[in-house]
Amino acid sequence: MLWTEANAMLAFLQVVIAGLVTGSLYGLLALGIVLIYRTTGVLNFAYGAIGALCAGFLYILITGPQLNFWLALLVTLLFALVVGIVLERGFARPVLHAPVFTKAIATLALALVLETLAQAIWPQLASPQHFFTPFEGKALNLHGLYISAIDIVILVVTALLMLGLNLFLTRTRQGIAMRAMADNIPASRLMGAPVGRIFMVVWALGALVATISAVLLASRQELISVQFMDPVLLLAFVGAVLGGLDSLPGALLGGILIGLADNILGYVLAGHTLGPLNISDPGIRETLIFGGFVLVLLLRPQGLWGRALLRRV
Amino acid sequence: MNESQKTPLLEIRGLTVRFGGLLAINELDLHIAEGEIFALVGPNGAGKTTVLNCINALIKPAAGSIQFAGQELLKQPAYKRAALGIGRTFQQLQLFTSMSVLDNLLTAQHAHLRSGLLMGLLPFGPGKREDARARERARETLALLGLAQYADRPAGSLPFGAQKLIGVARALVLRPRLVLLDEPAAGVPPQEVDELAASLRNWRAELGTTLLLIEHNMHIVQAVADRVCVLDYGSKLAEGEPKAVLSNPAVLEAYLGREASKQVAQAAIEVSQGVSHAES
Amino acid sequence: MASEQTREGELAALDSAGSETQRKTHVNLGQRLYAWRAGLAMLAGLFILGLIPTIYDQIFGFSSGFQLHNLSMIGILIIAALAQNILTGYAAQPSLGNAAFFGVSAYLLTWLTTDLNQPYWVGILLAVLASALLGVIVGGPALRVSGTYLAIATLGLVTIAGALLNLWDTTAGRQDYQLNNLPAFLGDDHALYYFVFIIVVILIFLVYHLLHARVGRAWIAIRDNETAAEAFGINLASYKLQAFVVSAVLTGLAGALYATWAQTASSSMSSLDQTIAFLAMIVVGGLGSITGSVLGAIFVGFIPILLGQLPSPLAVGSFQIQVSILNTGIYGLLLLLALIFFPTGLSSLIGRGGNLLRRVGKRGGTQ
Repeated sequence: MLWTEANAMLAFLQVVIAGLVTGSLYGLLALGIVLIYRTTGVLNFAYGAIGALCAGFLYILITGPQLNFWLALLVTLLFALVVGIVLERGFARPVLHAPVFTKAIATLALALVLETLAQAIWPQLASPQHFFTPFEGKALNLHGLYISAIDIVILVVTALLMLGLNLFLTRTRQGIAMRAMADNIPASRLMGAPVGRIFMVVWALGALVATISAVLLASRQELISVQFMDPVLLLAFVGAVLGGLDSLPGALLGGILIGLADNILGYVLAGHTLGPLNISDPGIRETLIFGGFVLVLLLRPQGLWGRALLRRV
Repeated sequence: MNESQKTPLLEIRGLTVRFGGLLAINELDLHIAEGEIFALVGPNGAGKTTVLNCINALIKPAAGSIQFAGQELLKQPAYKRAALGIGRTFQQLQLFTSMSVLDNLLTAQHAHLRSGLLMGLLPFGPGKREDARARERARETLALLGLAQYADRPAGSLPFGAQKLIGVARALVLRPRLVLLDEPAAGVPPQEVDELAASLRNWRAELGTTLLLIEHNMHIVQAVADRVCVLDYGSKLAEGEPKAVLSNPAVLEAYLGREASKQVAQAAIEVSQGVSHAES
Repeated sequence: MASEQTREGELAALDSAGSETQRKTHVNLGQRLYAWRAGLAMLAGLFILGLIPTIYDQIFGFSSGFQLHNLSMIGILIIAALAQNILTGYAAQPSLGNAAFFGVSAYLLTWLTTDLNQPYWVGILLAVLASALLGVIVGGPALRVSGTYLAIATLGLVTIAGALLNLWDTTAGRQDYQLNNLPAFLGDDHALYYFVFIIVVILIFLVYHLLHARVGRAWIAIRDNETAAEAFGINLASYKLQAFVVSAVLTGLAGALYATWAQTASSSMSSLDQTIAFLAMIVVGGLGSITGSVLGAIFVGFIPILLGQLPSPLAVGSFQIQVSILNTGIYGLLLLLALIFFPTGLSSLIGRGGNLLRRVGKRGGTQ
């Protein structure tokens, strides 16, 4: 009796941990999305593609010239910063003055271009490839509870990034300038903030976060392909909006909530059927997650931790 | 003008507005007779625009009543108040910038037109007929204000002065009984202020409109207002004829602060005694 | 009350006085042409549209890819673009949920005609009515949410609809939902073309008048300035809801027509990709413009067709490029370039052309 109860509890805990890990991945992406959104006003739908491009670069470095994983990772992170800056100059600048909707569609177009670019340069990534990491096969066993090495890495990295970003935004001049911009670009320009340079930092930072998320995801799935970030991106957006689009912690928490919901629902529905309907179908899970999301928004239209909107006359 | 009107056109009683913990308007009473030009003045943040916003339903007061022509306004949702005969201009203009000037005035008549989805689909019929009449009314109003040449230009592309006048035209096109003017003299160069004063008196005379204006420019207040009410921190400080109210020491103090108003009072005495004061 | 009577009298006097502001103007050929340009353009357009099937066959024979069949699809896209533009370009509701109406309506039509054996026309009618109802169901709660939140929430609805439609397919054991029981004439490319384009022309006509009537002005007012709109008597909630319903009805019609065109309904009709297509159309063509909707639909509809015509593999110097991979990339690049160079949409080009005519007309009249 006790054995099966303990088993059930273990299994549930396992699911919760998996949910926290998945949630952290969504949350990290959501962090980057909200960062770029709050400072530049652009909803960056190319975010996943940016991460995928850089993660692909890492894969090539490991499989091509057979670089050591950690060295390749370092080079990739630098590459990410460069990609961010290049995109800021080549993409964000030209569309800066377009209406908001146009900018959003432009990021979608950018995503298509980036994906095609990745596929053209590295055609082997058109289909899923095995992603080699030093974390493979290593796991921690706590009285029957398995936590794989990569899961621990994900949780630790997420926490560190969250802290790091927070420090950056509250303690450094760049960060504070970024937060000022989030509220009012013309005003901060008048105060002497180097808006152009800040945009560059934002995009570089954003690309960095996207790359870290992508590498972590690829490591966990042990698979990589050109479009492997696509399914994750929409959920990351949902997490960001759920958290309220107003704060970084909110975004992270929103992502974690989505991750938890995803995993717990998957566990609960597994193998069950409702009449002829196979409710363990991922479609049902998606429906429930998005349905729940819409309901929460109806009850709290500004997101869970967002500020209510004011109207000025 | 109806001087024999016993019930005031606009009657505000006990109006109280709170923003969070801040008491913006404190038990305000105001009566405005039909055909009057009434000015609401006071230092920045005194709550003047808030009063207008309550009449317009952009803000919901915590307590009090606003009666317009005998009807309790606060029971009506915002979009119904235009039909009752209240027009308004805004401090920030708030024009429909992508529309032509003429369309701005057509849209302003929304409350008096009736065509809906089905009538709108047809190129003929009652919808198009009432639109044609509305277009005429719009052109007449533009002509009245000297704006006829702007009729087809996009409202957002015009110089500031013209845009201000369009805001007024928009408020007047339905020939409302009461027009709320939010700082009509703001941004108007000093040499044109007299013109503006004349226009305001003109509209009152020709159209019989009652005007409630918020103003900072004392010159124009003195020139046009029949009565003035001074607000300070949401409460009525003084009310009456412009000359009397504006030389009231309490009013001066509210605007200028105690020390400065003492200086002003002192300067006024010295000037009247023939001593000239040289100030840097 | 006496004052009310004088006011009534005033308004009446103004109405009957006629327009004193109209002056006699010199009418010359240029100005006459300008005034009639709308009518002429329409007639010319209709004439060309009517001739296209014949022209097509002359030029392209029956070469695959440039079939008349594809033009009909563009007509359907025009309807969907109009719908999205009304909701997002005019009434300024960033709702991305139209793809859900698109897919659901297609499935409804297919279900009614194939499984319930109803006549096609009944199916279309019911699908459109159902879309109207869905528009109310979605639009009502949508009033509470705004901006980015509304955008992502409606994206969520598209995902839900897509997932449920897919689930229906899986449960019924099929890949896509085949549409049978079509009236025979709709199987013919020419007939389908005329069918679709007559609907398109009628809809453009109706929508044009709607957007220039009281309802359309209310929508534009809401877009430009909600505060002022309310102050002038516009019931924000009611008009936003009307925009949702009109948009849903048009998109539902487009979805039913699409199922007719493809003779299947697939759950990919309610997907992120479809949403992107809808948005790209109005953004490239021009928000808040009927011409923009048409141009955008042509852009989004034609580019994939043109790209499909490129030889694959393409030889550039000594490189051999698999063009099929590049298709989405080139499409994305063209889209990006269009947005960078025409941030307000391709319809701004037409604006310039119209100005040219105006100047020609004026020059003649000032002598």
